[in-house]
Amino acid sequence: MAVITISRQNGSLGDELANYLAGKLNCEVISRSYAMEKFFGESEEVSEKLADSAKLFLTEVPGQPGVTYKDILTSRIDEIADNSDNLIVLGLGSCVMLKDREDVINVRVIASMETRKKRIARRYNVTEQEAESTVTIGDRKHKRFVSILFETDLAEAELYDLTLNTDDLSVEECAQAVLALVGRRAQRSKISDETAKDDSIDHQTATPVFKNETEAEFAKILDMYGIEWMYEPKTFPIEWDEEGNIRMAFSPDFYLPKFDLYLELTTMDQKYVTKKNKKARMVMDLYPGTNVRIVYKKDFQELVERLKSFGG
Amino acid sequence: MSLILDDAIDIKRIVYDEEAIAKRVKELGAQITEDFKGEELIVVGVIKGSVYFFSDLTRAIDLPIKIDMIGFGNIPDTTSKTGVVKITKDIDVDISGKHVLVVEDVIRTGLTTAYLIQNLESKQPKDITLATMLLNPDRLLMTIPVKYYGFEISDSWLLGYGLDSKEVGRNLPYIAELAKKE
Repeated sequence: MAVITISRQNGSLGDELANYLAGKLNCEVISRSYAMEKFFGESEEVSEKLADSAKLFLTEVPGQPGVTYKDILTSRIDEIADNSDNLIVLGLGSCVMLKDREDVINVRVIASMETRKKRIARRYNVTEQEAESTVTIGDRKHKRFVSILFETDLAEAELYDLTLNTDDLSVEECAQAVLALVGRRAQRSKISDETAKDDSIDHQTATPVFKNETEAEFAKILDMYGIEWMYEPKTFPIEWDEEGNIRMAFSPDFYLPKFDLYLELTTMDQKYVTKKNKKARMVMDLYPGTNVRIVYKKDFQELVERLKSFGG
Repeated sequence: MSLILDDAIDIKRIVYDEEAIAKRVKELGAQITEDFKGEELIVVGVIKGSVYFFSDLTRAIDLPIKIDMIGFGNIPDTTSKTGVVKITKDIDVDISGKHVLVVEDVIRTGLTTAYLIQNLESKQPKDITLATMLLNPDRLLMTIPVKYYGFEISDSWLLGYGLDSKEVGRNLPYIAELAKKE
């Protein structure tokens, strides 16, 4: 599951991206109008005032001492996120509001003023000068809202996992990038969750550093087949001393999420093959449901050969 | 020896003759007929190796199946030295919501088959199962749904009934073991 927050400049196609992603992920978009209607819609007067004044969000809700409108906004969005497979939150300072959630991906959508004013001018049939004014006022309003509610400048680059410039990117291209990140994040979370439940250790690093050329070559082969992989994402302790300290552990080289399969390359000395086979068996015994296969030298060579003389 | 083989190809022995192949293919056809009775089944052959097995197997299935073929190859890619594997001949029939049986000549590591399955899955079939004439279970790396196979093989180099050596020997009616790797 993923919560995607989208912060956008006016006219940057951020709204279009949110709706496109919602269709792809079959999920809801919490936007400003959604929040006003569903969270504060009981009183038209209140929702209208909230829409006009960011400062009002910091005031107490009548009849609820110590609870502000901001608290309601935050808790309701958090609650919906907890109960959804996927969720998109558009604006509302959600990148700050939800920053402590592990499942959140913060996206910022931007474009040059030139692009944005042209888009707005075309869409609303106004002059580019009028469009620029609209864009500037809109941006200022967003900035002010986040600044008042969360004392944060939403233009800060560090707030975001991914920033997309739609000067040259289409909505579909942006969506593909976000979805790829969502998929990757889900795999990483899955590994982390598993390690929290048994003795295995989360071994995921920011950059895969291959131990030898064979591993790098094997990664290339998997890439060619479009098979997703993770490099040494997990370490499995397999032998402990009497005090419970780890005496032996095994970190298979590759994990293929789609096939829920760990692969260990043994293109080296035959004496290591027996040892690795034993370790693989121990992992499968100690961690039920874990699949480990050994890639032998001949398998590897055959794959390389096959790619050289690809025939089908 | 057959005229199909030139002097460069040295055959050690015939591993499965025409009779053994025909008998096994009939058995597989009967089993598939039984398993998919009343279901909508699409059988997809993988070009080129499976062509003979595919044509014999589909005729041994006594059901109103639809057939198609899929091919793939290594396409040069501007962003990588090794290129990428791409579908060169995609299927034309609609497989969404239907049972799909993919037919291969031989499955060793299963990597190419895994690639095909990934690709076909994007077309949202009801399920995908695999039939292969030859299977080397000791070498199988990928967790792929092989349900039907003709014969188990070891590490020997084989030729005929779709399997080639430098593109020659596919049309041999039997499966033979090569004396040495070509």
